[in-house]
Amino acid sequence: MVDKLFKYLGGDRSIWVVVMFQALLSLLLVYSSIVTLAYKYQGGNTFYYVIKHGGFVLSGFVIIYLVHRVNYRYFSRIAQFLVWFVIPLLLLTLVTGNDINNAKRWLTIPIINQSFQTSDLAKIALIMYIARFLAIKKDALNDYGGTFIPVMGVILLVVGLILPANLSTALVLFMLSMMLLFMAGVSIRNLLSVIPVGLAALVLVIAVYKVSPDTFPRFKTWEARIERFGSDEPNPNGNYQADQAKIAIATGGLFGKGPGNSTQRNFLPSSFSDFIYAIVIEEYGMIGGIGMVFLYMILLYRSLKIVQKAKGSFAANLVLGLSFGLVIQGLINMMVNVNLLPVTGQTLPLVSMGGTSMWFTSIALGIILSVSRTIEEQEKEVKDVVEPKHGRKFEKA
Amino acid sequence: MYVLVALGMLAVLVRVFQIQVIEGDEWRKKSENLTIDYRTIDAVRGNIYALDGSLLATSVPKYEVRFDPNADAVTNDFFNSNIDSLAWCLADLFKDRSPASYKSELINARNKKKRYYLIRRNVKFTQLKAMREFPIFRRGKYKGGFITVQQNKRQRPFRVLASRTIGYDRENGARVGLEAAYRKQLAGISGKRLEKKIAGGTWMPLSDSDDIEPQDGYDLVTTIDINIQDVAEAALMRQLVEQQAEYGCVVLMEVGTGEIRAIANLSKGADGSYKERYNYAIGAATEPGSTIKLASWMALLEDGYVDLDDKIQTGNGKHVFYKTTMYDSHEGGFGEITVKEAFAKSSNIAVATTVDKYYKSEPQKFINHLYGMRLNKKLGVEITGEGMPYIKSSNDSTWSGLSLPWISHGYELQLTPLQLLTFYNAVANDGRMMKPMFAKSITNYGDVMEEFEPVVLKESIASKETIKKARIMLEAVVTEGTAKNLKNASFSIAGKTGTAQISKGSTGYKVKSYQASFCGYFPADKPLYSCIVVVNAPSKNVYYGNLVAGPIFKEIANKVYSTSIGAHEELVVTKSTSSRPRIPISKNGDYDDLASVYTKLKVPFTVRENAQWVAVSTGTDSVAVRPKRYVENLVPNVVGMDVEDAIYLLENKGVKVEIEGRGVVIGQSVNPGILIQGRGFKIKLSLS
Repeated sequence: MVDKLFKYLGGDRSIWVVVMFQALLSLLLVYSSIVTLAYKYQGGNTFYYVIKHGGFVLSGFVIIYLVHRVNYRYFSRIAQFLVWFVIPLLLLTLVTGNDINNAKRWLTIPIINQSFQTSDLAKIALIMYIARFLAIKKDALNDYGGTFIPVMGVILLVVGLILPANLSTALVLFMLSMMLLFMAGVSIRNLLSVIPVGLAALVLVIAVYKVSPDTFPRFKTWEARIERFGSDEPNPNGNYQADQAKIAIATGGLFGKGPGNSTQRNFLPSSFSDFIYAIVIEEYGMIGGIGMVFLYMILLYRSLKIVQKAKGSFAANLVLGLSFGLVIQGLINMMVNVNLLPVTGQTLPLVSMGGTSMWFTSIALGIILSVSRTIEEQEKEVKDVVEPKHGRKFEKA
Repeated sequence: MYVLVALGMLAVLVRVFQIQVIEGDEWRKKSENLTIDYRTIDAVRGNIYALDGSLLATSVPKYEVRFDPNADAVTNDFFNSNIDSLAWCLADLFKDRSPASYKSELINARNKKKRYYLIRRNVKFTQLKAMREFPIFRRGKYKGGFITVQQNKRQRPFRVLASRTIGYDRENGARVGLEAAYRKQLAGISGKRLEKKIAGGTWMPLSDSDDIEPQDGYDLVTTIDINIQDVAEAALMRQLVEQQAEYGCVVLMEVGTGEIRAIANLSKGADGSYKERYNYAIGAATEPGSTIKLASWMALLEDGYVDLDDKIQTGNGKHVFYKTTMYDSHEGGFGEITVKEAFAKSSNIAVATTVDKYYKSEPQKFINHLYGMRLNKKLGVEITGEGMPYIKSSNDSTWSGLSLPWISHGYELQLTPLQLLTFYNAVANDGRMMKPMFAKSITNYGDVMEEFEPVVLKESIASKETIKKARIMLEAVVTEGTAKNLKNASFSIAGKTGTAQISKGSTGYKVKSYQASFCGYFPADKPLYSCIVVVNAPSKNVYYGNLVAGPIFKEIANKVYSTSIGAHEELVVTKSTSSRPRIPISKNGDYDDLASVYTKLKVPFTVRENAQWVAVSTGTDSVAVRPKRYVENLVPNVVGMDVEDAIYLLENKGVKVEIEGRGVVIGQSVNPGILIQGRGFKIKLSLS
């Protein structure tokens, strides 16, 4: 039965298992934590959200399946133009995007009328672009003018366009890009040379904010979040989310309250997305919290195995970037949940309810599995050749 | 890099451990303060109606309006640009404060980060509807911070009328009257709603809709006729006050069905005022006195021992039974009289000697007659607390030679007024004993869910012949006996007076105290209604049943007779316009209410300025309406106002109101303009 299933699912089995496990958990968690939202907008009908979320999860699987059937080499082609498509899209979002909490992050696709976060698409596009660029220039990585400047230019452009509406995503993407460059072999000296540029940009942004605060409406939120995180004095209203998350964690104990028994979901805003890890611990306890960490570590470990086997730098860089992207996003979500980082809107990939971002996560996973599948098939071919069955030696050769 | 991520993950887990174990207690303690729960929402209790549909008891929804000035969606811009118009609307609706004062209050609430700020209590539904359209509020609960909490308050629009019979069903379990008897049907089924506990122990609903909608209670239609009830209560009140009696009660019953049309119980409180405090008609079993003689004579008639015209020697009004002397109330005695006369004049000696003569050898035979008239059993009415009738059997340990003569004229036995009336009603109903009925039907939004049928307690309490003779005797009481003062030109009354000496606590019969009663029916020839009046312990030296209870009976009978269709010929309506009354006098009060009444009655009226509260002065051809302004925290002038409006106005200011009397306010214990201070500020209104 399991074998039959995996006959159709190529690529790393462990990753598939992790994904299925997380999707299942996601359904349970969202069903439980959606209660307040359901009461607010759907007259207590939690099924509305569960069905909607279930639809996204299911379509996510379809996306993973379809993407993983594609030969990864095609992604190299797509990477060529995708980033140039994304940049105007980000610009468009900043100008005309749907305003949610003063943050213009969403763009509505005409005709199907589905809004999505352009930064989700930009993330994949940028990673693909860097992976391809580094693969092409792998012999001249430390050519400052020929390699570093062009790739850094694109990175800064994309990150800079995400930044006004979504600081945390921009920072994560920037760090991820730096990491990719570093692991590909770009020298630290080159990488550090960005610092003055970044500082200069920061000064510029702050200056613009001081002169006309309306240009960066999110600035106030950031200021407040960072201040709240930094201050130790008890603030009765201030650290509300963080405190509620801590209560959720503390009351969860070792084994948790059991699926669906969360009470903090009623007090914790975004308990179904940004603060889902706190709910994981509340309902499934410390055990559940450790389990979740392990799922991401398995995902990362298996991805790194693929990277090791990957022939050709594009595939390796691609899997490296995408898997680290996913896991770091998850790590940031968890760190926010346990109050190791200030409150940001990073969701737990594959687990949080969040419609379209789930699709982009699925695309990323699909790409990773596509690389994995290709590698496995190549290995198999090699195996068939080297150890032919039933004495039909060298038949294929 | 992988190690770096792994370290990050480890840090997360270490932090989880830290929060759970090291800081755990602190956070868990915090969690106890946050609670969310399903809270019951009471169903709206059904109404209790009088026979004609007048409301006897109803649950009036009152709303508490609160405001969350710090709701997420209420941004600075939005709040600031709308606050002026919101304040203006509030001031315009309630007319108690200036827009500026509302504005500063709301701004203050927002600045203080209030999330559940009280705008107003006791908001009427019409006002609530208006408030839903106000700026900010019109965006609803989440976007506009508009929070309403509904509370249902039980009100009896006719206040004192039949209040003990209508009763109450309090949360502490105290239940009385029809509210208690039909609580299952009236109560409805309560619903549930998710609510969140917020600071101060208040619960706030989390959503606009309820999770389980409550099912409203069914309505109860009673047999009470509010007009007759009003007359009965007023007549009883007047007589009790005049006689300074201890208590009194009146019950009026429809002969054919046993339906109770009126039931009034008034007793004197410590302060000397009369109020409905206890349902004497149902609960108080006392020695009935002379009214029981009807049963005694009926027993003798039934056995054929006597007939109406048989002569009985009563002597000089004194008769000695085993050393105990019995007296007749007539000085010097009645001498030799007929049975009919003996009953009409209420001779104790006649009934006692005759009963003693025929049943002395077998007293149980007499007692069995009383049992046969179902006088020894409870009626089984749905209102709890019915008094137990007491008629002892001849083999009772307390039975003596005096028992028979004394029981025959109304002592050594106990009956409640309602039980006695039921017996008289059976006589009026040709021997058929009907169970007293209080409930006509159970309805739901006008649809009859359950109809109550009259219940026959006993098909026949005596032979037709005996009933006929009993009715002749009862008529004689009014035509030639003790109740001649009840004689009436337009219709005849039949009945029996009763003047029982009552024992008062430990003093027994030594301190002379009486219970005056009159029980009967009308019209005598074709009985429609039976009625009993009992006045206990009149203290003005007038204690005869005909003088104390009789007038009440007569007043009620007149009212009922004059209003019951079919009982008499219709009057020819005088159509001359000159005799038509001028514009009716109206009371001060709520402008909208008054205006709609004037419009409906086509009374011309002039308005100088719009205001919620107005004073009116009735001219020859129109009514002038002037606004009345009330300053917050100052006692308003409510003289001339209708009592309901006055109470509404005062209670909204947090004043506790006590009322005395009925009708329009003619005096208030605290002068207008005095500052209202503290929670327990009280004011007494006298009405007339």
